[in-house]
Amino acid sequence: MPDGTSILEGVKMSTTLQSSTTEIEKESKPGFNWQSLSPYGFLLPFLIIFSVFGIFPLLFSVFLSFHQWNPVEGLSAMSYVGTENYYIALTDPWLWRSLKNTFWLAITSGVAQHLVAIPVAYVLVSMSDRLRHWLTSAYFLPFITSTVAASLIFFNMYSPNSGIINQALIALADSSYLGWAFGWVNDYQPIRWLENADMLKPSIAFMVFWKYTGFNIVLYTTGLMTIPKEILEAARMDGANAFHRFWHISLPMIRPFVFFAITMTIIGNLQLFEEPFVLTRGSGGTGQAGLTISMYLYKVGWEWLEMGTASAISWLLFALIAFFTSIQFIFFGKKGLQGH
Amino acid sequence: MNLKMLTLSSAIIFGLASTANAADADIRFDGFPDFDSSLKVLLPDFEKKTGIKVDYLMNNHGDHHTKLTTNLATGSGAGDVIVVDVEKIGPFVASGGLVNLSEKYGVDKYQDRFAAYAWAQGKGADGGMYGIPVDLGPGVMYYRTDIFEKEGVKVDAAITDWDAYIALGKKLKKDNIFLIASAADVAQAIIFTTVPEGEGLYFDKEGNSVVTSERFVKAFTVAKTIRDNGLDARITAWSNEWYEGFRNGTFATQLSGAWLLGHLKNWIAPDTSGSWAVSNLPDGIYGSWGGSFLSIPKQSKNPDQAWALIEYMTTNPDSQLTAFATIAAFPSNITTYDDALFDQPIEFLGGQKARQVFAEVAKNIKPVQPGKGDHVARSIILENALMQVLDEGKDIKEALAEAERLIKRRTRNM
Amino acid sequence: MKTLAFLKPSQEVTTFLTKAAMVLLATVLILSAILTVFPFIWSAILSTRDRSEIFSTTISFALGDSLAINYQRLLEIMPFWQAMFNSIYVAFVGTTISLLFCSMGGYAFAVFKFKGKSFLFAMLVGSMMIPPVLSLIPYFLIVQFLGLLDNHIAVWLPFTTTPFGIFLIRQHVVSSIPKELLEAAKLDGAGEFRTYWSVVLPLMKPALATLAIVQFVFFWNMFMQPLVVLNSPDQYVITQALRSVQGIPNTPWGSVMLGTTISLLPILITYVCASKQMISGLTSGAVKG
Repeated sequence: MPDGTSILEGVKMSTTLQSSTTEIEKESKPGFNWQSLSPYGFLLPFLIIFSVFGIFPLLFSVFLSFHQWNPVEGLSAMSYVGTENYYIALTDPWLWRSLKNTFWLAITSGVAQHLVAIPVAYVLVSMSDRLRHWLTSAYFLPFITSTVAASLIFFNMYSPNSGIINQALIALADSSYLGWAFGWVNDYQPIRWLENADMLKPSIAFMVFWKYTGFNIVLYTTGLMTIPKEILEAARMDGANAFHRFWHISLPMIRPFVFFAITMTIIGNLQLFEEPFVLTRGSGGTGQAGLTISMYLYKVGWEWLEMGTASAISWLLFALIAFFTSIQFIFFGKKGLQGH
Repeated sequence: MNLKMLTLSSAIIFGLASTANAADADIRFDGFPDFDSSLKVLLPDFEKKTGIKVDYLMNNHGDHHTKLTTNLATGSGAGDVIVVDVEKIGPFVASGGLVNLSEKYGVDKYQDRFAAYAWAQGKGADGGMYGIPVDLGPGVMYYRTDIFEKEGVKVDAAITDWDAYIALGKKLKKDNIFLIASAADVAQAIIFTTVPEGEGLYFDKEGNSVVTSERFVKAFTVAKTIRDNGLDARITAWSNEWYEGFRNGTFATQLSGAWLLGHLKNWIAPDTSGSWAVSNLPDGIYGSWGGSFLSIPKQSKNPDQAWALIEYMTTNPDSQLTAFATIAAFPSNITTYDDALFDQPIEFLGGQKARQVFAEVAKNIKPVQPGKGDHVARSIILENALMQVLDEGKDIKEALAEAERLIKRRTRNM
Repeated sequence: MKTLAFLKPSQEVTTFLTKAAMVLLATVLILSAILTVFPFIWSAILSTRDRSEIFSTTISFALGDSLAINYQRLLEIMPFWQAMFNSIYVAFVGTTISLLFCSMGGYAFAVFKFKGKSFLFAMLVGSMMIPPVLSLIPYFLIVQFLGLLDNHIAVWLPFTTTPFGIFLIRQHVVSSIPKELLEAAKLDGAGEFRTYWSVVLPLMKPALATLAIVQFVFFWNMFMQPLVVLNSPDQYVITQALRSVQGIPNTPWGSVMLGTTISLLPILITYVCASKQMISGLTSGAVKG
């Protein structure tokens, strides 16, 4: 059991290393200071597991991106092709199309998630424990519902003739009260949510929104709960209304959480895979309108069996995510990474 | 929070939990459902005859092939006998990771017993056999006899050629009945079944793409005519509306494999029993929808036992018939076709002896040489180019030309 | 706050409006909660139906009468409870170890200054950006090299130091654990590990609870890795077992939906427990700003 002992060793090491210390100063001093090793002690599990399970796949994938490899032909079938994979990937119209789709989906569903999640979390925190408990649990359910179950339901909802969405729209258009506002919808019925290239992306974005908003709500609720009640109470005494307390106190104080959640959304949304895959049954939809980069690289690697090109695409995707994440770090990182 | 307790107790649990699992079986069969149902019936007899114990591992169709890809890539972890679907047989046969069954077990002597087209699909470029066909999906047209009767249409007249078929659609449209669920099925049928001599599905003998040829243009044109005239219901296969369509007679015909019969009868539309029948495909074509092969990966440590199982499951008419009876896997072994089972009238199809139709189709399908890039071309043509033409009104020639460019790029190294 | 002064005269109105808005909000929130729960309820309803009832286009909330048959069939087609046990084992052990490892790592990144910190942190965040679909083959190679094929350890161990968790804990520590507290602990003579274990860890509860849910869900729903490394049906985890019977045409959907619904219960229970911890983090109010 190498893993079990490694934990214990890590634990032991870090305990023995810092016995009998009264120093507060953590930076190393002249002469060898055991104390300076303790952060590495805490990081040991991460370092070990990352170097065993993290670095090799990384190197493998870099290596692969310069090779042509059909995986079913075995490891020995790799042949060096230089930067051809990158060239092929970058001049591929499908890659650019999938890039556009990924951005569209990432921005639409991502922005919506946070715009809804932060206020909702704020309202939830001010509710009674019990109500909040039940509501957050409900919002969280989509995150844990299996994709298979969810996709069955969404297929049903999106179905053009009998789906609940189109049924509801038709009912609205035909109703005597709201007909004036919704009547025009009937001209487009039946709306083919998953087959029409224009409707596909919003349909996917909605499923992503449905699935992850609750997760962000939970994240923000956790953040808002770290705010000491006394501060909010004091502000209330000063006469600050709910909106002011939210804007001037809560929001700045949960900045590390907002920063974290947005970073996660950027990384997660640019890697969007499961929802579009399920809703388009792996095809990417009409005119590849629902093809995301992750799906595309899956298709290239696992269906078309070109692992080399897929690796190159994955590094392009990596560069892209890294770019946007570092923008986020540069602009918000200073405040987002610090406490208050 | 009892983190300390949790840590402690889990440390104990993972210390104790058993891990490696020594299987007591001799060989393992990797496949997808419903192979398990037929194995359940076949294996006891196989074990009695040969003394070989077989374990099996089922994953769903897509996952099974992902796992196989990983196994072949890394040279380990695959079962001794693996199922390969016809969609994947091209690259797998060419992979070099499978045992050449002609060389090692002299399987060529069995060639006459199998449907010629399926045998050809399991053959590698070197002429050796790498996959033995275990089941087939002979293609037929399912149609509603009640609707045909009401319209006063004879089925033979409706399938003489595509024009007749489209004319039928126009007639049906007047009564608000669709001809078919999706026009895409028609395109697929034409592409799959009218391959000229010496050509593969998407590539010629030299490996050049043929997707801009007359066959594809015709396939796309017929499908587009059907779509443009509003003759298809625009319903995706395997969706709830598709099932409902079978039940309510939303569409009058469906082109599909023999295996669809079992699904219609058992769960899609059991109540419509008696109002269906099957015929040959329109325009006198013969084609197949699906089919699977059995292979032995080179990494197998017990290829001899594995071969014994494949031999038993494919060359032995009794086991082929058993699989047919249990999971409706249509036999690839044509020597079974004179069995009494094939003369049975099928109640769901109004007493038609449909299995003879299937058998006749299976025997008449022309062999097509599989190409290494078939899986790539298939997804570009059927999942993309065709949808663009049908759903977005893209020009046919343009769509095919773009598809060809993509296919060429994708298969440049094959 | 300057703006507040002129708000005072109309304070009553403001209070009333705020209250009204809260009621409206609560109603909206409850309605949307019902909507989000709908798919879950739906899968429970579907699990009582047979296949042709499941694939009907009419929407009905009536329960079917095939629950018993579905359950029977579920046990026939897969070692359901064995797979549930395996999943509980993997998810429980994996989550617990993750909590330990991630809290250690996050704590280190939050409070210490050390050589290579920025580099390690960049690597941590960077490693999240590599699309997971491609690491499957190298992952398999490592697992094989370590001799962990068909072993549950291969399924949970590599994912116990998730960048997400370390990052989350780090953010929580910087935002809610005052430096003075750590210094006070030092002055009391507590060692580094003791400070972490007895002072900081109890204060991390809300973040740990969040991490626990996320990790539990991750381990519970994880699929690709078990698919390639677990090779015998009695080692299968629940996602694998449920997916293994799904071919589009032949799936006994009633049983699958039943299995899916049952398999969500452990996550729900974990969620309920963890979310209690989040509340306790609030009420214990150990953080005095």
